[in-house]
Amino acid sequence: MSDGPLIVQSDKTILLDIDHPLSTECRRAIAPFAELERSPEHIHTYRLTNLGLWNARAAGHDAELVIDTLIKYSRYAVPHSILVDVAETMSRYGRLRLEADPVHGLILVTTDVGVLEEVIRAKKIAPLLGARIDNETIVVHPSQRGAIKQSLLRLGWPAEDFAGYVDGQAHEIALKESDWKIRPYQSLAAEGFWHGGSGVVVLPCGAGKTIVGAAAMAHAKATTLILVTNTVAARQWRDELLRRTTLNEDEIGEYSGAKKEIRPVTIATYQVMTKKKNGVYAHLDLFDTHDWGLIIYDEVHLLPAPIFRFTADIQSRRRLGLTATLVREDGMEGEVFSLIGPKRFDVPWKEIEAQGYIAPAECIEVRVNLTEAERLSYATAEPEERYRYCATTRTKRNVVEELVSHHAGEQILVIGQYLDQLDDLSETLGVPVIKGETPIKEREKLFAAFRTGEITCLVVSKVANFSVDLPEATIAIQVSGAFGSRQEEAQRLGRILRPKADGRGAKFYSVVSRDTIDQDFAQNRQRFLAEQGYSYKIIDADDVFQGKF
Amino acid sequence: METRSFADYLRSLDDAALISLFAHRPDLISPVPPDVASLAIRATSAPSLARAVDALNAWQLQVLEACAVTPEPFTEKVISALTDKAALFVIPGLLERGLIFTGKDGYYVPTNLREVLGNEIAGLGPETMAKLSLKKLEDAPPASKKVLDAMVWGPPRGSVSDIKKPSVGVEWLLKENFLIPFNQKTVLLPREVAIHLRGGKIHRELLTSSPAIVGENRDEKNISLAAIANISTVLRWVEELLNFWAQEPADALRSGGLGIRDLKEISLHLGVDESCAAFVMELAYISGLLTIDPDDRILPTTNFDIWLTLSPSEKWQRLVAPWLTTSRLSGLVGKVENKNIAPLGPELDRAAAASTRTLTLKLLQEIPNCEPNFESIYKAALWHRPSKRYGGLQGDYIAWALREAEWLGITGQGALSKYGAELLDGAELDSINQDMPKTVDHILIQSDHTAIAPGPLEHEVAQVLAIIADIESRGGATVYRFSEATIRRGLDHGKTGDEIKIFLTKTSKTPVPQPLEYLITDVAKKHGKLRVGSTSSFIRSEDPSIITQIMNDKRLDVLSLRQISTDVIICNMDSADSISLLRSCGYLPAGEDSRGTLLSGPRIMRAQSKARPPRIIGEVEVPDEIQLQGALRALRTGEKSTHKQSTLRNIASNALGSLPRTTANETLEMLSDFLQNQPTKSLSIGYADNNGLVSHRIIDPLKLSAGSLMARDHATGEITSFRIARITGVAAL
Repeated sequence: MSDGPLIVQSDKTILLDIDHPLSTECRRAIAPFAELERSPEHIHTYRLTNLGLWNARAAGHDAELVIDTLIKYSRYAVPHSILVDVAETMSRYGRLRLEADPVHGLILVTTDVGVLEEVIRAKKIAPLLGARIDNETIVVHPSQRGAIKQSLLRLGWPAEDFAGYVDGQAHEIALKESDWKIRPYQSLAAEGFWHGGSGVVVLPCGAGKTIVGAAAMAHAKATTLILVTNTVAARQWRDELLRRTTLNEDEIGEYSGAKKEIRPVTIATYQVMTKKKNGVYAHLDLFDTHDWGLIIYDEVHLLPAPIFRFTADIQSRRRLGLTATLVREDGMEGEVFSLIGPKRFDVPWKEIEAQGYIAPAECIEVRVNLTEAERLSYATAEPEERYRYCATTRTKRNVVEELVSHHAGEQILVIGQYLDQLDDLSETLGVPVIKGETPIKEREKLFAAFRTGEITCLVVSKVANFSVDLPEATIAIQVSGAFGSRQEEAQRLGRILRPKADGRGAKFYSVVSRDTIDQDFAQNRQRFLAEQGYSYKIIDADDVFQGKF
Repeated sequence: METRSFADYLRSLDDAALISLFAHRPDLISPVPPDVASLAIRATSAPSLARAVDALNAWQLQVLEACAVTPEPFTEKVISALTDKAALFVIPGLLERGLIFTGKDGYYVPTNLREVLGNEIAGLGPETMAKLSLKKLEDAPPASKKVLDAMVWGPPRGSVSDIKKPSVGVEWLLKENFLIPFNQKTVLLPREVAIHLRGGKIHRELLTSSPAIVGENRDEKNISLAAIANISTVLRWVEELLNFWAQEPADALRSGGLGIRDLKEISLHLGVDESCAAFVMELAYISGLLTIDPDDRILPTTNFDIWLTLSPSEKWQRLVAPWLTTSRLSGLVGKVENKNIAPLGPELDRAAAASTRTLTLKLLQEIPNCEPNFESIYKAALWHRPSKRYGGLQGDYIAWALREAEWLGITGQGALSKYGAELLDGAELDSINQDMPKTVDHILIQSDHTAIAPGPLEHEVAQVLAIIADIESRGGATVYRFSEATIRRGLDHGKTGDEIKIFLTKTSKTPVPQPLEYLITDVAKKHGKLRVGSTSSFIRSEDPSIITQIMNDKRLDVLSLRQISTDVIICNMDSADSISLLRSCGYLPAGEDSRGTLLSGPRIMRAQSKARPPRIIGEVEVPDEIQLQGALRALRTGEKSTHKQSTLRNIASNALGSLPRTTANETLEMLSDFLQNQPTKSLSIGYADNNGLVSHRIIDPLKLSAGSLMARDHATGEITSFRIARITGVAAL
C-alpha cells in the first residue's frame, strides 16, 4: 500500500491531503482533469466530471495519463470501476468534430458513424443540422455552433471544435510592466485561457483578475469588448487598463447608461446591455458592431439571462469569464461553463494568501442577543418579514458602534442590505453612506476619499458588493445581506482582501442575531468561504463590549 | 445382457478403481446403491451417463465418440487410429468414468451412451448390413462423387426427390450400397463409407488440446492492490446494504424477490449499478446474512451480527464460499429478456451455474497475472465443456462469473489475485487481514462542517459518526457532514451535546472548529427546551413524598430510576418488570396503559426466523474421502449380503431380542472398538425413536463424531447420523 496524498472515492470525488509532502506536486498533476470543489484546511476535495475529463482531453491529456496520475498518488487502490469509467468517458471525446469546411462552411465530422447516427436522431440536435454530405459528414449552420456543442455535450458526445476562432479586428495591445510585475498565477491563468481558446478563470477577490483580463488582451491583440457589472467597475477597469497596458484614453470607450462610446476596447455594463426598449434588447447589437477579437465577462457568476442566450450565438469569438465565486444560488454554473467555456484556471484562496498576494483575513461572527421584547416581536413577525426584522435589530447598532470605535484609525466598511438600517447606521456613526441612489459622481468621490484615507469609515449597500477596489480597507462589518447568498459573503470579504501596504491582516465581522433565521442564513452564507478554508470564529456581543476579541 | 457384463466389469474392479469412479460420478452414490447390480443399472442409465459426458472436455468427447461408432469389442489401437495417438492417454480416463468398459476381447461402450451422444454421432450414419467394396468408391462417377462430398462430414442424411427415380449419382451409389435408402425421400450414408472417405478418421479437426487463453498481462502488485480494494469494497457493500435494511426493511414481492424500485433504491444507496446491487443482495442472501421473514419483510439475520465481529478474511470467506457453490445467478436480474426476474426471488437458479463458475475460475488459475480476453476464455471453456445439453455452455454465465469474481476481489484488474488463488487452493486467507488498509481511529474535522476519515474507520467510531453526521462520500476514505439535522439525530439517540463534543475532540486529529462546537451547543440547547426522551416505563405519583422515597430506595437501584419532575420518575425497565419489583419492595403500584411511552430513533430489527440460505439445485455435492470410503464399504457389504439378505434379517430380529442393553458410555466404547478393530463389520443396533420405541437397524459404522455415529443404514441405503444416547445396544453380525 503506497502512502500517497490522494484518496479516490467511489463517487468520483478525490480527496487530497494537503498536509502530505507530495500534496503540491499532486495538486499540479490532477489539476488538468479534476475540478476543485472545496479547499478547507486539511483535505481538499476534487471531483472527476465528464466535462473535466473532456477538457483534459481537449488540452491533450489522454486517459492513460489520468489513470497513471491517479494510481501514482493514490493512498489506497483506485476503484477499478473509476478507472474504467475514466477511460470510457475520455474515449467519447473527439469522435465528433466541428470543422470549418472551405465548401460547406461549418461541418460536423465523425470517426464513428454509429455515434453520428445516434446524435442526428436526437430531438434536440436534428433541427440544428443541415444537409448530410456523406456518411461521416453533415452540415451545421454556423449560428448554431454554440447550441450544437451544448446539446452534444448533454448527450455525452462532446464535439471537438476545430472550427477555430475569428481573430477579430487586430489592435495592438501590450502589457506595460514598468512599475509593476504580472504575478506568476496571473500569467498562468492568462496562458491557460489563451491555449484553451475560451473559458473561465476563477481567482479570489483582490487577486487581480483585471490584470488577467489585460494579459488576455495582450495575447489577443485585437479589439475587445468588456462586460462589467456597473459603471463604477467600468471606470475602474478603464483606469487599470490605462495603468497596466499600452492603451491610451482614446482607445477605451465606455458604454453605459451615461455614455455610449464604441472604441477598439469598449467597456459595457450588464445593465445597459439588458435594457429593453419597446420590448427588445436595444443594445445587444453591440456584440455585432465591431469585429471583436475577445469578449471579457467580468464577474461572470452574475451573467444575466439575455446575455447568456446571446453568448450562445457568438461561439466563434474568444470569450473570457472572470470570477471569484462561481456559485450561483440558481444552479446555473453549468450553463456558464458550456457557454463561456470550461474552467481554465482555479486555485484555492488560501494558496494565493500563502503567496502573499491577498491579505490574510480573519472571519468573525458576532452573535447578538435579542432583547426580550425583540424576541417576542420576532416570534410574531410575518414569515416574509422575519429576516428583515432580525437582521436589522437595534441591538446590532450598538455592536457595530463598538466595533467601529475599537478599530478607530483603520479603514472600515459597514455593509448591509436594508437602506433604513444603513441610513440609521450612517447617522449613528456619523459617516457617509453609499447606496443605489447615490449618483455615480458622488460615489466616486467618496470612494476616492476613502482610498486616500480622508474618510476612514463608509456605510455601503450592496452596490459595493462587487468590483469596487478599495485597497486599504481592512475591516468589513456586515450587518445584513441577501439572505443566504454564499457568493455575496465571499464578495464582501473580497473587498478587504487587497494586500495592505504594511502587510496587515483584514478582519471581516458578520453581526448576526442569535437563535433567529439570521443565524441560519449566516451559516449558509459562510459555506463557500468555509470551503475555501476560512474558519469563522464565533464571539458573543458581550465579548465585543468587554473588548475580549 | 449388457448390464450384466457391465456389472461383471464393476465387480472385477478393485477398491481404488471404484472410488475413482464414484469421485468422477458422485451421482452414483447418492444414495448408495445396495449392490453392484443396482450400481451397474444406475451407471448405465441415460441420465447418469449424460452427466458423465457433460463433464468431458472436447478431446475426451471426440475419443468417446470414436469409441461409440466403432464396432465392439474394440481396442485402443483402433481408437487411436480413428483419432490420434494422444487418444491413448484419454482412454484410461474414460474407463475410470465407466464410459467405456473392458469385457471379452476388448472395450465396450454402454448401449445408452450412444443414445446420450445423439443419433448421428460425429455426423456419422448407421452401419450398413450389406457387403461393401470400398475400393469401388475411387471409380465413382463424378455425379456420385459430388453427392458423397456433400454428405461425408455429416449430416449423413440426403434428400432426394423420389427414391424410386434417383438421379444418376445417387443411383450408382444406391446400387453399390454406398447409400442406404431410408424412406421415400431420404438416403443415408453408411458409417463405413463415411469413415473411409474421411480418411479413416472420425473428426475433421482433432481438438487434442485446449485453445490458449490470451489476455492482458497485469502486474502482480497491482492485481493484489486492486483485489484488496475490491474485497474491502464488497465487505462495505454488504454491511451497508444490511444496515440499510435493518432500519428500513424492504418488502418482498408477492411473487417472491425484491421489487425494481427497492433495487433501484439500493443501487443508489450503494452507488453501484443495478446488476451489482442485485449481486450484493444475492451474496448476503446465499450466505445467510439476510432472509425473508414470513411477513415478507427482508431483514438481516442474527448471523449478520456475528459476521460483523469477524476479521475481514473470515467475513470474506463467509461470502465467497457460498458464492462458489450456489446455483443462483444474480446476473439474470435486469437482463432485457428476463424483465420479471427479481433478485432474492425464486427464479434465479440455473443448473449449470456453479459448474460454469468453477470452470471459469479454474481457467483463471491457469493463466497467472493475466486478465483474459473474454472471447478466448469463452473458447477455452467451450473446449472444456463441449456438451450441448441444456443449450450448451452459456457465455453469459462466464461473463457474470468473471464480473462477480472481480467484485469479490477473487480477481483484481481481471486477473486471479493471490487471495483468489488461496481461496481456490483452500489455503489460509490470513493475508487479507494483513493487506487490508489499516483501520484508522481518527478523523479530520474541517471548518466547512465536514469530517474526513482518511481510511477505513474502526467499527465503533464509524457507528457513532454514522449517527451524528451524514455520509457524503464513500470509498477508501469517508467524508461526513455535520448539520443541525445530524446533530439532532445524535441527540435523539441519547447522546448529549457534551458527549458529542468530547467524542469529536477525542476522535479528531485536528482541533474541533469553533463553529461546529457552537452548532452542537446550539442544537443541544434547543433540543433541551422541549423534553422528549425515550423511556420504557414511568412511575408517577401525586404524592411527592413517595417519589422521594422511591428515589432513595436502594433496592430499586436496578431500575436505574431518573426523576424528571417532582412527581414523575422514569426507568429503563418495562412496566411489567418495574411493577413487579416495586411490589416486591412493598409498594402498591398500579399499571397504566402504554400510551405516552415514546420510542425515538430508528429501531434496528432482525429477522424472526432462522437463516435459510437457498438450496443449491442441480449439482451433486462433491463427496469427501470419508463419504467415498463409506459408499464403497456400503456397496461391498451390500453386495456380500444381497444373496443372504433374508438370513441377515433373521439374525437381526433374533438379535434384537437378545441385544443386551448398554449405557451410552458402554455403547460408545463398543462402537469405537468396532470402528478401530473391525471397521468393515456390519453391526446390529437397537435405536430408540422420539417416542422411545426401539427399532432394530443394521448398519455399517463409518465415523464417530460429537455424540453421534455416522453410519449407513441398510434399510434405507443412506448415510445417517445416529445419536449415541439413543442406541440401546450393539452387536456384531
